[in-house]
Amino acid sequence: MRFQDAAKDARAVTYAAIQADPVVARAAGLLADASPTQCLLARAVMNGETLDPDGWRTMFPTLFGPGVAPSGLERSEAILAVSLAIADRGDQARNQLRGALVESLTAELLARRVGAGAVRRERRILFDRVPAEIHPYDVTVERAGAAEAYDCKWGARGIDADVLHQLDDARSNAEAEDERLRVALVVFDAERSCRVRLDRQTAPHDRTGLLTMETLGTLAG
Amino acid sequence: MGDVMTISQLLESASAAYEELVTLAEDVEDEWTYVMDLSAAWRERLEVVATERGGAPAAAPEQAAIDRAIDEVGRIGDPHRAIDWLSTFPQVVLSALGERP
Repeated sequence: MRFQDAAKDARAVTYAAIQADPVVARAAGLLADASPTQCLLARAVMNGETLDPDGWRTMFPTLFGPGVAPSGLERSEAILAVSLAIADRGDQARNQLRGALVESLTAELLARRVGAGAVRRERRILFDRVPAEIHPYDVTVERAGAAEAYDCKWGARGIDADVLHQLDDARSNAEAEDERLRVALVVFDAERSCRVRLDRQTAPHDRTGLLTMETLGTLAG
Repeated sequence: MGDVMTISQLLESASAAYEELVTLAEDVEDEWTYVMDLSAAWRERLEVVATERGGAPAAAPEQAAIDRAIDEVGRIGDPHRAIDWLSTFPQVVLSALGERP
């Protein structure tokens, strides 16, 4: 098993520019230490129709109401501001930014556990005598004997047969080479919604992990 | 702010808004089964809260939060975004009531 950079095609070049947008890193940095409810705030605002911050504060009394600790309030305000900045970009841009955000957040959390040097983005995984997948993995942890591969989704609806096959194939191909490869989905949505989506899938996923808004922090160890 | 509502009344208002979202999301034919399963799962969760706390009065911030969330989803006209909110809206409602998703 070995890792390789994805081809620098037009899609990759375009997507690299999206990933490099400063708003993505800013949002990921804030969400890396966010509570599940603060993640929900970000998800709602970035999915939302309106850009009125007071309306969003009203919608989340447990984050902005009286009695909230100043440190928590400060982070919630920062998350609200960066989420509104992304929502304000328009539908197409925000769809792309949201996807890049989940990847960046995943990479940031993993780096806390394994160190930034072991965390890579947009990498293919190659196996002997197995045709290479066209699509790269969103985030990988590249360590001898303890590699990991993640596919990142903004919502549960992004879970489909293709991604489940890709992750499980990588895991089983690694196993065939006596290598250990942990594979998982990271979904910026509630576990309940993800389970509903997964229950409808016939593609193999019993050995694919699932990290949701409630459990993102476990990526960091 | 108008009269104080019970949690049950508040959840009834939220459920009515949710049904509007479901109707909109049904336009995405490829996702019809998912829309049905997803909405059933979240209805079930909201019904648990209604059963456990339905008779209690809703606090003003809870009422304002859920009213605001209903207003937000009432603005959605795109069926794909409605599917996003089939997951997000119940979570916002539960969060406003201090409940876990």
